[in-house]
Amino acid sequence: MNYVILSAILFTIGALGVLIRRNAIVVFMCVELMLNAANLAFVSFARMSGNLDGQVIAFFVMVVAAAEVVVGLAIIMTIFRSRRSSSVDDANLLKY
Amino acid sequence: MNSVSVLAAPEIHAPPVEFSQLAPMLIVFGAAIVGVLAEAFVARPARYAVQFPLALVGLAAAFCWTLWLGFSEKPQHAAADGAVAVDGPTLFIQGTILVLAMLSLLLIAERAQDAFTAQAAALPGSEAEQESMADGGIQTEIFPLTLFAVGGMMLFPAANDLLTMFVGLEVMSLPLYLLCGLARRRRLLSQEAAVKYFLLGAFSSAFFLYGTALLYGYAGSVRLSAISAALSRSGGSETLLLAGVALLSVGLLFKIGAVPFHPWKPDVYQGAPTPITALMASCTVVAAVGAALRVFYVAFETLRWDWRPMMWGVAILTMMVGAIVAITQTDIKRMLAYSSIAHGGFLLTGIVATSESGLSATLFYLAAYGFTTVGAFAIVTMVRDTTGEAGHLGRWAGLGRRSPVIAGIFAFFLLAFAGIPLTSGFTGKFAVFQAAADGGAVPLVIVGVLSSAIAAFFYVRVIVVMFFSEPEPDAPSVVTTATTATAVALGLTATVVLGVLPQPMLDLAGQAATQLFVR
Amino acid sequence: MDLYIPVVVLGVLAFGFAAFSVVMGSLTGPKRWNRAKLDAYECGIEPTPQPVGGGRFPVKYYLTAMLFIVFDIEIIFLYPWAVAFDQFRGLFGLIEMALFIVTVLVAYAYVWRRGGLEWD
Repeated sequence: MNYVILSAILFTIGALGVLIRRNAIVVFMCVELMLNAANLAFVSFARMSGNLDGQVIAFFVMVVAAAEVVVGLAIIMTIFRSRRSSSVDDANLLKY
Repeated sequence: MNSVSVLAAPEIHAPPVEFSQLAPMLIVFGAAIVGVLAEAFVARPARYAVQFPLALVGLAAAFCWTLWLGFSEKPQHAAADGAVAVDGPTLFIQGTILVLAMLSLLLIAERAQDAFTAQAAALPGSEAEQESMADGGIQTEIFPLTLFAVGGMMLFPAANDLLTMFVGLEVMSLPLYLLCGLARRRRLLSQEAAVKYFLLGAFSSAFFLYGTALLYGYAGSVRLSAISAALSRSGGSETLLLAGVALLSVGLLFKIGAVPFHPWKPDVYQGAPTPITALMASCTVVAAVGAALRVFYVAFETLRWDWRPMMWGVAILTMMVGAIVAITQTDIKRMLAYSSIAHGGFLLTGIVATSESGLSATLFYLAAYGFTTVGAFAIVTMVRDTTGEAGHLGRWAGLGRRSPVIAGIFAFFLLAFAGIPLTSGFTGKFAVFQAAADGGAVPLVIVGVLSSAIAAFFYVRVIVVMFFSEPEPDAPSVVTTATTATAVALGLTATVVLGVLPQPMLDLAGQAATQLFVR
Repeated sequence: MDLYIPVVVLGVLAFGFAAFSVVMGSLTGPKRWNRAKLDAYECGIEPTPQPVGGGRFPVKYYLTAMLFIVFDIEIIFLYPWAVAFDQFRGLFGLIEMALFIVTVLVAYAYVWRRGGLEWD
């Protein structure tokens, strides 16, 4: 159960980080933190409930997260190269 | 999933995989992989000529197979060891997605409109960019990317467990993030849209995943039917359950674009290349609503007294905010984005009904709305001036005098969005509201009608601008090409037919719904 | 505890070999220093000078990192599969994994043909 609480704390830190941090890369790392918090939850629930589904799911999540990293880095890199900044505050062309 | 039994049992037998029932998805993914190979081995000038037919044939073949599955086999089956549900709603939604994807593909493949950048890696305004533009090519990777996205969209609403659903969600979203950033003109805007879409999308899928984790903790399985069974046993931790449902809903509602989670929609719809906006506004919404239907109807049905109030609130907010904020918009794509948010609210009304008629009404609404949307965005790609698409509403002034046919068709699409009788929008709204009223959600219906009235106001305003104001001297002209015209014509036909003669399609949706969801 | 003895022995051997090599090398080898030999060792690649004004990495690193992640992470599915390989009945497991690897190979072919593996 302690691990579940730890994962909840990690998830919250990640979510707060997404909302508070300004650098796109850091925001992105916080999202990864949230995904890994979910992984921790999966693994500890798998241990608690005694079936192995959760561990297998964690594998899948890791692969998906890796794919997400690649796509995300590519996008952030492109915008960084054309603007020399990766702050989300500078991305302000689209407004109502 | 089979490696679960790996450690428990000494022998592993092959899980049943019904390839014939999964074939539509496999065809699309297969075509995408062949497309990647074509990118690698076909010479640059020939790539377009290979990719476009390949993608179109792949989608068409998948659609034919879906039709065959629907009419001859009538499967009611959880395929691939229960990971993918192939049932009436799945086939209806997959068929809809495939047709809409083909229409969007016609827009994507349009070379004269040059919506896509020649080289995404080249810096905006750099010499490399000028060079690749002068070559006249486009980044042909858009075709495999589109196919991957469409494959993900087909898997997302068909998934029978939350892990498959998550994988489907990501396979659908990741290519879309990239496609958003590939506009040829206004590239900074497009890249910004991609970053926003990516960060918010990843954020929301993290919520979806954590919700899945909590539900796994509650039920000991991520299979939708197992969650439903665990609910009726009613043991376990309420906290885990409710938090899981809430987080999962956040992920799903984000993809639909329901109101507290909508701010990405106008930005992304405006910044993305218009053909991609058409794809997102039609297919992604269909897929996301399909997945939400399955989750709420199959897994959480016994819990509906708990989630209904929340969904009521979200639906009401979505309908009202979408309609009201749309009034102040000056960009045509932004306006259509807010209109799409409002439509998401109408669709949620159908989900809230949790009945067979609600299901069939939502399915019909999805098809009707999808066709109209693709048609409307197709026209947006046609109205152009020297800087590309004329996005600002003021630039559309007097379009009705310069090209009455196109303006007329666009007006018709807007009226369909508004839900005027004899258009598909009316039939869809009527069906959804009726189902909601039968389900006891009368206040929701009243808000819906009110929101439609507000929405009608700004649709009519656009029509007035087009027909009753003087065109500027340098007003944009309409560039018509064969593929775009085909997309518009098909969208128009569907909108008219579903409005005047809706019965066959309603029957089809009804049939799909009577099979209900497989568990 | 007996289970761990081979591991401990292997660890001691590895440590001993490393210590022996370093000590013997410094004792017996010739010492002719030059600039290149005194440079920081970066797994064989020529060290890249840090740019002025803070450590920004060239885009090439990100590209390589991305490719590495994509191909590296596929191993995740290979390990459990390999561990359980002798328990499979029939050819299903083999065919599925072959399909999976072919798919990854397609991505590899794309990267290779489009010049993603060229450093400069």
